[in-house]
Amino acid sequence: MTASDSFRSIEETVRATHGRPGLAYWLGLALAGGLAAFGGWAYSLIVRTGLHWTGLQRPGMWGNLITDFVFWVGIAHSGTLISAILYLFRARFRTAVYRVAEMMTVFAVMTAGLYPILHLGRPWFAYWLFPYPNQRELWMNFRSPLIWDVFAVSTYLIVSTVFLLVGVAPDAAALRGRATGWRRRLYSFLAFGWHGTDEQWRHYTRAYLFFAAFATPLVVSVHSVVSWDFAVSVLPGWHSTLFPPYFVAGAILSGVAMVITILVPLRRAFRLEDLITPRHLDMLARLVILTGLIVTYSYATEILLAAQEPASDPERSTFLYRMTGPYAPVFWTMIACNCGGPILLLSRRVRRSTPALLVICVAINVGMWLERFNIVVTSLSHDRLPFDWRVYVPTWVEWAVTFGAFGWFFFLFLVGLKLLPPVSIAELKEEAAHLAAHAGAEEASRGR
Amino acid sequence: MAGERPVVATFAAPADAARAIGALRAAGFRVEAAMPAPFPEVVAALGRPRSRLGLVTFPGAIAGLVAGTALTVGTSVAWPLVTGGKPIVSIPPFVIVIFELTVLVGALVNLAAVAVGSLGGARREAAVSRPRAVEDRVAVLAAGADREAARRILREAGAEEVADA
Repeated sequence: MTASDSFRSIEETVRATHGRPGLAYWLGLALAGGLAAFGGWAYSLIVRTGLHWTGLQRPGMWGNLITDFVFWVGIAHSGTLISAILYLFRARFRTAVYRVAEMMTVFAVMTAGLYPILHLGRPWFAYWLFPYPNQRELWMNFRSPLIWDVFAVSTYLIVSTVFLLVGVAPDAAALRGRATGWRRRLYSFLAFGWHGTDEQWRHYTRAYLFFAAFATPLVVSVHSVVSWDFAVSVLPGWHSTLFPPYFVAGAILSGVAMVITILVPLRRAFRLEDLITPRHLDMLARLVILTGLIVTYSYATEILLAAQEPASDPERSTFLYRMTGPYAPVFWTMIACNCGGPILLLSRRVRRSTPALLVICVAINVGMWLERFNIVVTSLSHDRLPFDWRVYVPTWVEWAVTFGAFGWFFFLFLVGLKLLPPVSIAELKEEAAHLAAHAGAEEASRGR
Repeated sequence: MAGERPVVATFAAPADAARAIGALRAAGFRVEAAMPAPFPEVVAALGRPRSRLGLVTFPGAIAGLVAGTALTVGTSVAWPLVTGGKPIVSIPPFVIVIFELTVLVGALVNLAAVAVGSLGGARREAAVSRPRAVEDRVAVLAAGADREAARRILREAGAEEVADA
């Protein structure tokens, strides 16, 4: 196959993903939209009539909503890892999978960003979190982790969105030529005046490198900032210098697991098997193993440090509570999913079995949500003062908001799949040209 | 481009386009190209200097750093409320906000710079733009006094189509 045949084939495959959706797509969209609407309605109960709909009671004033926030910020991390960090490392396998990861990042941050606002109690005052001149000359407290979150998550959302849209521009120009109607107008807008001239590529490739260089420390900073929401307090189980690397590794583990969870059905449903190959899934599975082992090491470090303390130490008491108290099933399920899952992937046979990989990645997603719950809830339920201990149990309203977030995320994702190319056309063409030139050179040397 | 009469050719293979560009440049033609991806052999044959986008992006990031510092220190001094017994100007927590603003402003300035560069490029290089050059072909523009020589070089390198720009 010549280079131009490969280019056409790539474009045709991507164009086919934007064809008329089937019944399964509409059912998925309806389910996701329905879940999001139900979650929104459940949240409206809290806003209209108060927090009594939740299980929040002193000292457990953080529950499912903050768990969801931390979980979705974590999910957002793999997109930048795959697109920016692997770009800087020149890892070629990222080419076929990074667009889905970037889309996932943007939609996951849009989901995560809702929760601190929902959790404010009076969400209509959310703008108080941003610095703006006012007649009383009041300014925000920059020493508060809540404000760090606002700046970190807002920056992450803006930079991830810019990174995604800049990457889409050459692909939109490629799709523009044969598109009609509103889709042509959309691609013309997204192409941003792109003609593929060497002058444009000269600036573009440089700018892309700078975006990757900005995004790489950003991805580390955002989840570190989220971990400081907990680590800067003096609560047992939270007050630890281990938290930033532990959170970043956990975020990447959950994010890569979510990318695989999405890619496996996506490549089948949209017939992308030729572009997203088992090798790509294998490489992502190796990232799951790496980050899973870092998370396992962090769990072990936390437990061993607590175990070294005297029996009366609150840190030790909190960890014993996590392992043996009313939340023990959450703790042990978390260990089984987040430590056992990646270890199973060490077997090449398991890693290369797509159903097994999917099941393990879904289990890791469940495990990572439970990890966030374990961190947020158990420390508050079992603080330094025994008279204050209380078990937090989420209500159906909180569960509805939690599942509503999944609905919201998948609704955005399904809509995004029909509007944006799910793989990077330009980078795949570059890869195809490289392979064609390599094959040509091999043939020529054989002929000699 | 007074006196220059450009011709444009399209190539199916980036390697052929790269060969044509090399020969055209050696013969003294001014050469431009349009392509669906930044093929390394074509980019190398064109021999363009590296983009100086960093000269805009880096000061943008510095502006973000200065803005972040001014915002955190300035507003804390303007509204000096002690919280948690910490100094009014607490540098370690401020560094977080300053860092985020450095990245944010740097990235936005980078976006503005590439937008201006790309749009400017689109205006200047419209002659080489071809619809298929964003899809599956490499377009090469050659400008110089001897149009026939340019046509011959392009055809010899394997051009599918050679036309006046």
